[in-house]
Amino acid sequence: MRKFKLLLAAAVAAMAWSGWSAARAQQSDEALKATFERVAKIAQEAVDTTRFKKKPPYHIGVSAGYLSNSWILFLNQYVKYEASLHPEFADVVVTDAAFNPAKQASDVEDLLSKGIDVLLFWPVDEKSMMPALEKVAAKNIPTVNIGYNFIDSPAVTSNAYVDQWKQSTQVATHLAETLKGKGTIFAMLPIAGSSAAVTQLAALNDVLKSHPDIKLASVQYGDWNRAKAKQLTENMLQRFPHIDGVFSPAGQMSAGVLEAFDEAGRMGEVTMSPGDEYNGWVKWIAKTDKWGSVTSGLDVGRASVIQALAILQGEKVTRARVVSTEYLTPKDAAKLYDPKRPDDWWPSSLPEKFLPK
Amino acid sequence: MTVLTPALRRHAVRVLQQHSIWLVLLLLLLVSAVLSDAFLRPAYLMNLVLQQTPVGITAIGVTLVMISGGIDLSVGAIISLTAVMCAILMNGQSENLPHALILTCLAGTLVGAFNGLLIAYNRVSPFILTLGTAIIVYGLTQIYSGGTASGVVSPGFRETLNHRIGGIVPTMVVILLLVAACGILVQRRTRFGRALYLIGTNPAAARLAGLNLPRVTVIVYSLSGLFAALGGIALLARAGVAGTYTGRGSEFDVLAAAVLGGTTFEGGHGGIGGTIGGLLVLGLALNLVNLVGLSFYAQLIVKGAIIVAASTTYEFVRRSSASLEKPATSRREK
Amino acid sequence: MTSAQRLPRFTAAAAQAVGTLATRRELMRLGALARSYGIYLVLIALLLVPSLWLSEYRGARNLGQIVQQSAALAILAIGQTFVIACRMIDLSVGQLMGLIVVASCSLMDGRPEMTVPAILLALAIGLTVGAINGLLNNRLRIHSLILTLGMLSILQGVIFVYTDRSVGAASPAVLRIGNGTVTGVPVAVPLVLVVAALAALLLHRTRFGLYVRVVGANEEGARRAGIDVARVKLPVFILSGVSAAIAGIILAGRLGTGYPNAGTGFELDAIVAVVLGGTPLSGGRGTILGTLAAVLVLGVTANLLNLLGMSAFIQMVVKGAIVIAAVLINQPRELARA
Repeated sequence: MRKFKLLLAAAVAAMAWSGWSAARAQQSDEALKATFERVAKIAQEAVDTTRFKKKPPYHIGVSAGYLSNSWILFLNQYVKYEASLHPEFADVVVTDAAFNPAKQASDVEDLLSKGIDVLLFWPVDEKSMMPALEKVAAKNIPTVNIGYNFIDSPAVTSNAYVDQWKQSTQVATHLAETLKGKGTIFAMLPIAGSSAAVTQLAALNDVLKSHPDIKLASVQYGDWNRAKAKQLTENMLQRFPHIDGVFSPAGQMSAGVLEAFDEAGRMGEVTMSPGDEYNGWVKWIAKTDKWGSVTSGLDVGRASVIQALAILQGEKVTRARVVSTEYLTPKDAAKLYDPKRPDDWWPSSLPEKFLPK
Repeated sequence: MTVLTPALRRHAVRVLQQHSIWLVLLLLLLVSAVLSDAFLRPAYLMNLVLQQTPVGITAIGVTLVMISGGIDLSVGAIISLTAVMCAILMNGQSENLPHALILTCLAGTLVGAFNGLLIAYNRVSPFILTLGTAIIVYGLTQIYSGGTASGVVSPGFRETLNHRIGGIVPTMVVILLLVAACGILVQRRTRFGRALYLIGTNPAAARLAGLNLPRVTVIVYSLSGLFAALGGIALLARAGVAGTYTGRGSEFDVLAAAVLGGTTFEGGHGGIGGTIGGLLVLGLALNLVNLVGLSFYAQLIVKGAIIVAASTTYEFVRRSSASLEKPATSRREK
Repeated sequence: MTSAQRLPRFTAAAAQAVGTLATRRELMRLGALARSYGIYLVLIALLLVPSLWLSEYRGARNLGQIVQQSAALAILAIGQTFVIACRMIDLSVGQLMGLIVVASCSLMDGRPEMTVPAILLALAIGLTVGAINGLLNNRLRIHSLILTLGMLSILQGVIFVYTDRSVGAASPAVLRIGNGTVTGVPVAVPLVLVVAALAALLLHRTRFGLYVRVVGANEEGARRAGIDVARVKLPVFILSGVSAAIAGIILAGRLGTGYPNAGTGFELDAIVAVVLGGTPLSGGRGTILGTLAAVLVLGVTANLLNLLGMSAFIQMVVKGAIVIAAVLINQPRELARA
């Protein structure tokens, strides 16, 4: 009897829990859009860098939230490359948190112990990094956030970022226009819970508000994993007899999605959203002359180092150095395809020495 | 019922107990067919099996290890390593294909042998040891691949393996069935297979009976590594590219399938046939949940619930059939 | 034999071996004793040797930081020690800790007055889930590995049904627990030491602790001797849940927010730490001190590799090698099976 009551209580709690959570999810999306709009204004504010000014040589510490996909790897190499171009930088030390926020906090503390002059980072989860970042700020060491979002906090000196909201909006808008405002689509997003996934979905929903005849039938999380994206798409193909479009800004996953459609013999019915410059994706564009790309802003790695240098030399710096994204037509995107390189590759200006292995 | 003599009843129950997972699968199929007619289409069902093939091939090797009382948690890492290695060795040339496949299988077998040797000659727990091996192998895979999903598959590799016979039956499913058949043959008809069951049930007795425990241990773990390598190759054929963490989490899917199929951690029970059944049940159930439209997170809950529910049912069936096996007199005394 | 009893024996054997011309037998005995102490030797070596040339590694400050970084894992591993000593495994503690991090941060939302309610909520969740695990384990007769594997999946689903992104914020008091110092010593240090001391007392000096080890050594024998095995196993799981609750509060303080995947992977690290510390997976014995030493070894290794600037990829290989080496050095006396 006691056990039964316990299990019943657990079941009731679980139901209350999911009810409360459903209500909460709504608010977050709205808040997210408001944040991005506010950010566009704040990005231009100046940062007082006089207290960071010091004499070279400088030691860079990079706290990578993860190094497990090729885009991030290229970005990491860009950081090292850009640092090599400036003699003021003595070395670059990189730590990898492998998607573990507790490890990232420890990594940051260890980098501090080692004695760095500036911290570049991309967080596993930005809120989880705050206590660690505050320790860095307390030591008067500047921090630069790299990636897809702007962190508005005194602990983050500056940001070098790609406007994910704008990028996702561009992708969604192009898809909606190509579909002529009508059809059933599903979304292929990165890791559930990551800021990329959250932002992409919120931006998509925002664009879809002005296209009421487009129905978002399902949201799938492919984890930036091509094989997983392919498997999830196979399920989608079975579930929906007709799919008009797929929202997938990550070319890595788009390649997997398309393969599933191809193997099912349903290539003709689907319109893909623009992807990015992933070699495996632009390969498809070269083959079919369709769909296009929105650039992913890989240059943001270089922008962060330039920003760091400026801060350490006490120069004028704004709170964010934004790398813009642009839409590439199928013809332009196809030019990026390099048949000599594997699918998991990105077009870059990196010299041979700095390319990933 | 007077028609069923006690002997007949015992026999029926034993058959039911041994093949209970297939009953569960049949039941689940019926339920799925009612919920959606997609499950009546052979192409759809074949697709389901195809999705489980890499895990399935790997699970065959792990089942053998578990029968002998051990456990292999490094298979996820081996899958990643072999998938990456195969892609890099192929380097887009078709003449590289044979030696890429051979070297990859060798690599998997070597990792398995490493596990086997350490477990056979030391009193270490296979759980922790294979966990440690997994960490090392993931690291080696990262270093080898440079972090990206490098390597280009040979032309024709994917096409051959992804081809569907008669438009419906995928080649890889046939391969899975063939590999499973080989495994079952080893398990049932070879001395090695019987040795595994004996070691799993009572290692001391096995040693007294003259079995060379270390040798059997090394062989079974090497086989597990080999099957994981084959699983990695299958995964590469499906995905076309392989990154460092391709196989991550597979070891738990393999464990779940084996346990659902009746293979226990203590050893001495179960078999490959059951594992395949368990694999199909899990795959079908998750697909069903996805089809019905439950959120991605709800699927996690369902997966967990199935694992618990199915194991419990299996235990219940096993115990009640065991009590039925007892002679009539002792039962009456209860 | 407890660690406290073995130490004088070890010292005596060492003195004898060094003082006289050691016979092979004595060396072998020394070797055997050394193997049971393997983890402590590894820890001391790791602490002393690199200090000789790595300046930023030396000193109490770095060590205190390592303890702070490892505190959540330490508490989790202490709870797992009881589970493993009882010849069971709890794979669900990682996700349970994650659930607690999310729930407590959600409740607190940064407000100081919510600290105590949040801690109470954490303990309630830990206790309840632990009890459910224990009850199901007693009733369902399936292996604890499979049961808790299923629970892992269920708990992860429950977390994500609630939120797919970071929620809430830790209150200032909780932040201090995770990150703060008290007269220069990290708050985590006394916290871990107190929990460890209580746990050691419970395991080695109470009848309950004795029963836990007896059931782990020989369940059937314990049952025949009249011990109510179910009444021993249930509290063990509850302890595991409570340890997840305490660890969850510390982790909430470290992260400052409720990140849904916060606990992923911690369960395996906890199990590795327990076994490395000398508690065999086959149960029957347990050492809290060993578990703590092993957690420190893992934390020190990660710290050392970071300070040495070693590539992240190599760090993984080294960590795995240390796990294997430590487990080979520190072998349990009886044949161990998962």
